Amino acid sequence: MYVWVLAHRPGKSLYSPISGSVVLPARFEMLCNLFYRIKMNVGVAHSEVNPNTRVMNSRGMWLTYALGVGMLHIVLLSIPFFSVPVAWTLTNVIHNLGMYVFLHAVKGTPFETPDQGKARLLTHWEQLDYGVQFTSSRKFFTISPIILYFLASFYTKYDPTHFILNTTSLLTVLIPKLPQLHGVRIFGINKY
Amino acid sequence: MLVAVLTYVGYGVLTLFGYLRDFMRQWKIEKCQNATEREEQKDFVPLYQDFENFYNRNLYMRIRDSWNRPICSVPGAKVDMMERVSHDYNWTFTYTGRVIKDIINMGSYNYLGFAQKAGTCQEAAAKVLSQYGAGVCSTRQEMGNLDKHEELEKLVARFLGVESAMAYGMGFATNSMNIPALVGKGCLILSDELNHASLVLGARLSGATIRIFKHNNMQSLEKLLKDAIVHGQPRTRRPWKKILILVEGIYSMEGSIVRLPEVIALKKKYKSYLYLDEAHSIGALGPTGRGVVEYFGLSPEDVDVMMGTFTKSFGAAGGYIGGKKELIDYLRTYSHSAVYATSLSPPVVEQIITSMKCIMGEDGTNVGKARVQQLAENTRYFRRRLKEMGFIIYGNEDSPVVPLMLYMPAKIGAFGREMLKRNIGVVVVGFPATPIIESRARFCLSAAHTKEMLDTALKEINEVGDLLQLKYSRHRLVPLLDRPFDETTYEETED
Repeated sequence: MYVWVLAHRPGKSLYSPISGSVVLPARFEMLCNLFYRIKMNVGVAHSEVNPNTRVMNSRGMWLTYALGVGMLHIVLLSIPFFSVPVAWTLTNVIHNLGMYVFLHAVKGTPFETPDQGKARLLTHWEQLDYGVQFTSSRKFFTISPIILYFLASFYTKYDPTHFILNTTSLLTVLIPKLPQLHGVRIFGINKY
Repeated sequence: MLVAVLTYVGYGVLTLFGYLRDFMRQWKIEKCQNATEREEQKDFVPLYQDFENFYNRNLYMRIRDSWNRPICSVPGAKVDMMERVSHDYNWTFTYTGRVIKDIINMGSYNYLGFAQKAGTCQEAAAKVLSQYGAGVCSTRQEMGNLDKHEELEKLVARFLGVESAMAYGMGFATNSMNIPALVGKGCLILSDELNHASLVLGARLSGATIRIFKHNNMQSLEKLLKDAIVHGQPRTRRPWKKILILVEGIYSMEGSIVRLPEVIALKKKYKSYLYLDEAHSIGALGPTGRGVVEYFGLSPEDVDVMMGTFTKSFGAAGGYIGGKKELIDYLRTYSHSAVYATSLSPPVVEQIITSMKCIMGEDGTNVGKARVQQLAENTRYFRRRLKEMGFIIYGNEDSPVVPLMLYMPAKIGAFGREMLKRNIGVVVVGFPATPIIESRARFCLSAAHTKEMLDTALKEINEVGDLLQLKYSRHRLVPLLDRPFDETTYEETED
């Protein structure tokens, strides 16, 4: 699938190379116009159909992820208005929010893949390892919000409000990871 | 590990900024340079996928000036390039009109230096051009079989040491059109992880079952072979009709050479067939340039299908397949490109014939042998010097493809631009053509490079390496000695 970039001069009629400078009707203007293709095909020469599936397995990714969460927590701890329980709850909530958005909400790949669109309707979590369940990356990313949850519960001293917040955000991030929910879109949200 | 973490941080930062810029573009704070639909059509099914273009928009566009550079001379050891500038961050380019002359070309696949403007090859090709014309407007089976093609095929068969050979117009098409003719449904293809897109396409078009083994890993290949023979086809458990192993001679992104003796031993043990794609290794390896089979000292009869291209070492275009006479006769009838694709054009055929005769030494001079030796020397010298400087280089010691690891996304663009400022043209590659942390710069050595050119290039690479902190290697090789080896020289590698 290519990306057509139109050399569209705003305000003027679109120039068609086929019939001189006559404006062609309706939607055919779009396709028959002067365009140039920007196709990023920088020596694509390997048989990995969808590199997104392997990203989480690469060397150093888990460490970077852990460091990122740690950095987020330190930043939140350094803001003087937040007490320690609030900082932990916020870390947990923001981390789960980010994880939900990047792993379970965003679909497809940020680059074109030669698999003819099979992965376009799948979230990143569903794309991991081509849908094989219980691989090590999946286990790691399932366990890490749980660990954060334990730490957050401990540091908030099991206060009821914090507990409710932490538990709901943990559930939003754990439930989409269940293998039974692979490819399931509840109420048609995020289907296309 | 630190480098890996920093690379991910780099990509993370770029992704965040990408989302920010997309957000600004959507809310019209920033102008959108890409194609968009008109307002009236927003309710229809979208024509463009926004997210699939994310990487293209936000990462590729920023460093786009390192690729697709327009050249205006023949891409030999030195090349002229049109200078271009961009005032809107690489969305459009304008030419300044100046031509940058004599850029040392470390990016073209010019292994034996046949990409030149003048010389015997060029004169012969020009003569044939006036005699035969520019193109053959027909397929091999209809009217496109010229006497030049027959001559070429006999020559290729003699060069490789096989019974018979057939030549096609495109190297990519040779793979993608002939693998379907060789295997079909009910057959098994075992292909290497890092095989080229043409092999992958041919394998997929054939309809056979494809299993992938780890790159150059003979244990993985043996395990797959054992499993295939023991278990047979997936559901019916019938034996496979054919097992074909697809490997390449030199892998262009890694620079690694296939473990041919072990693959042949495995092939014989488990009675399968071997398809060897020598696109980069023909002409470049081996004492007389006959490819990876000669490099290992094996017999070409062990390889069932020897495929190669004329694009890299012979300075022409097209591909060939060599093997037993029955196989090639079968391909002449059943190959898709023999039936539907136009045959090689005569001047190109003449270029191949002349360059091949030159390599074999049949034109009476020593030029071919000198070129092959020069390439081997250049390879060894260049790789050795780069390793001494402290860069991480992938690949085998003898392969003329030298990938230098860059790792971080920003360094991809920086390296390309800095080298161009110093008048050296390199090819840089990043994700998704390579795994996410392993972006690299790939040097392709040539017999046309003299030692002075290599020294200049090495000096500049050294400077840029210091500037961009690319010297990741933790092994330190002692520099080459000028005096002969005696009792006072110590071990080479100090850790």
